[in-house]
Amino acid sequence: MPDKNMEEKMSIEEAFSQIEEKITELQKDDVSLEDSFKLYQEGMNLLKYADEAIDKVEKKVQKISTESGTLEDFE
Amino acid sequence: MRNVYTVAQVNAYIKNMFTQDFLLRSLVVKGELSNIKYHSSGHIYFTLKDNGGAISCVMFRSDASRMTFRMEEGQQVKISGTVDVYERDGKYQLYARKVELDGAGQLYEKFEQLKEKLAEQGMFSKDYKRAIPKYIKTLGVVTAPTGAAVRDIINISTRRNPYVQIILYPAIVQGDQAAASIVRGIETLSEMAVDVIIVGRGGGSIEDLWAFNEEVVAEAIFNCPIPIISAVGHETDTTIADYVADLRAPTPSAAAELAVFEYQRLLDDMADYEATLLHMMNRKLQGYYDCRDALKRQLQLISPESRIRDRKMKAAAYSEQLQNCMDRKMSTYRHRLELDIERMKRLSPLDKLNSGYSYVANGAGKNVKHIADTTVDDDLNIYVSDGVINARVVSVTKEEDN
Repeated sequence: MPDKNMEEKMSIEEAFSQIEEKITELQKDDVSLEDSFKLYQEGMNLLKYADEAIDKVEKKVQKISTESGTLEDFE
Repeated sequence: MRNVYTVAQVNAYIKNMFTQDFLLRSLVVKGELSNIKYHSSGHIYFTLKDNGGAISCVMFRSDASRMTFRMEEGQQVKISGTVDVYERDGKYQLYARKVELDGAGQLYEKFEQLKEKLAEQGMFSKDYKRAIPKYIKTLGVVTAPTGAAVRDIINISTRRNPYVQIILYPAIVQGDQAAASIVRGIETLSEMAVDVIIVGRGGGSIEDLWAFNEEVVAEAIFNCPIPIISAVGHETDTTIADYVADLRAPTPSAAAELAVFEYQRLLDDMADYEATLLHMMNRKLQGYYDCRDALKRQLQLISPESRIRDRKMKAAAYSEQLQNCMDRKMSTYRHRLELDIERMKRLSPLDKLNSGYSYVANGAGKNVKHIADTTVDDDLNIYVSDGVINARVVSVTKEEDN
């Protein structure tokens, strides 16, 4: 399991590139079973992290008021 | 009697009038260029014309060397200079000191100059381009709040990903205040720390798009710490902003496509990753299972039970072999016995009797082979093939040996 602090900062892109690394590693023949389980678990954790990092709340377009600088719904 | 003047005197007189005229000494004339001749001496001869007329012009080498563009037929220009008389030909002409492109032409020239300047400063260099993050949460947009550009950006962005937060800075994108407004927009969104900013507007003339060719806008884009996608006009319009931006989109719609990831695609990618991980893990496990099974088989081969079974089987095989050997032996003996019986049969006394020989026994039942085996009056039994004859010995005669 990657470090918590690192996880918080990580982008989805980074998570994906790390997942790809895990997959590449897992493909190697000389990886022990124990390491395989570890890699698999890490990959799944990264996926879960990426999934949680995706915003799933629909947004309204916001407009910045040029006078007050505050945000308001656009249209 | 009137004075008679020479031609030269007349021309000199007229020239003097021109020279003393305040306006003709320094004026700006606009018109269209034609009949341009770049002379080998370095002077340029051309005609400036408009609907009402034409005037011959000359630009001397010293002024011509300061030109920032090459004059071309049909260009609209503003010429600063002096109108003076060329006495030899009795012609007046415009002595141009400075030629500027007028209107759009001037803008093109300014564009080229700024482009060259900023390129020299390295502001277009790839080294300074920021990568556009692939999965953004907030998208800043600096454009006019009305019109097709903002519509296109919102429609395409939300279609690709309804969960992306769009923050619009409603900028003035045309006219005197445009450049300052666009700069403020970039700075404001930059402070809000959006993930990517699209700066742009819809198509228009070079005058309409001009704000995107202003140096202040170029600097704001260059200095913005957040990646900026430019989207000015149509594909064929290229502005300074496009050169400075981290990524140039041909249109506002294209900018939205470049900035906002497709949500469904992301889900698909994640599902693919999950499937791949699972597949790899299962393959790995299967490898271990196979290996385990092979070892199990090997172990079973050398286990005590299997050894015992092995020996039992060997014993059974020996036993069968023994049995076979025995049977073979037996049948050989049986065969020999049969042959012997046959031989015995042939040696049987009965056979001899059948062929006319007989067996003689004395009274004591002993076979008579010699004369000493019997005496006169001894009762003999003579066995023949079909019975026994009782006889009495009458005499015994010994045969002489030879």
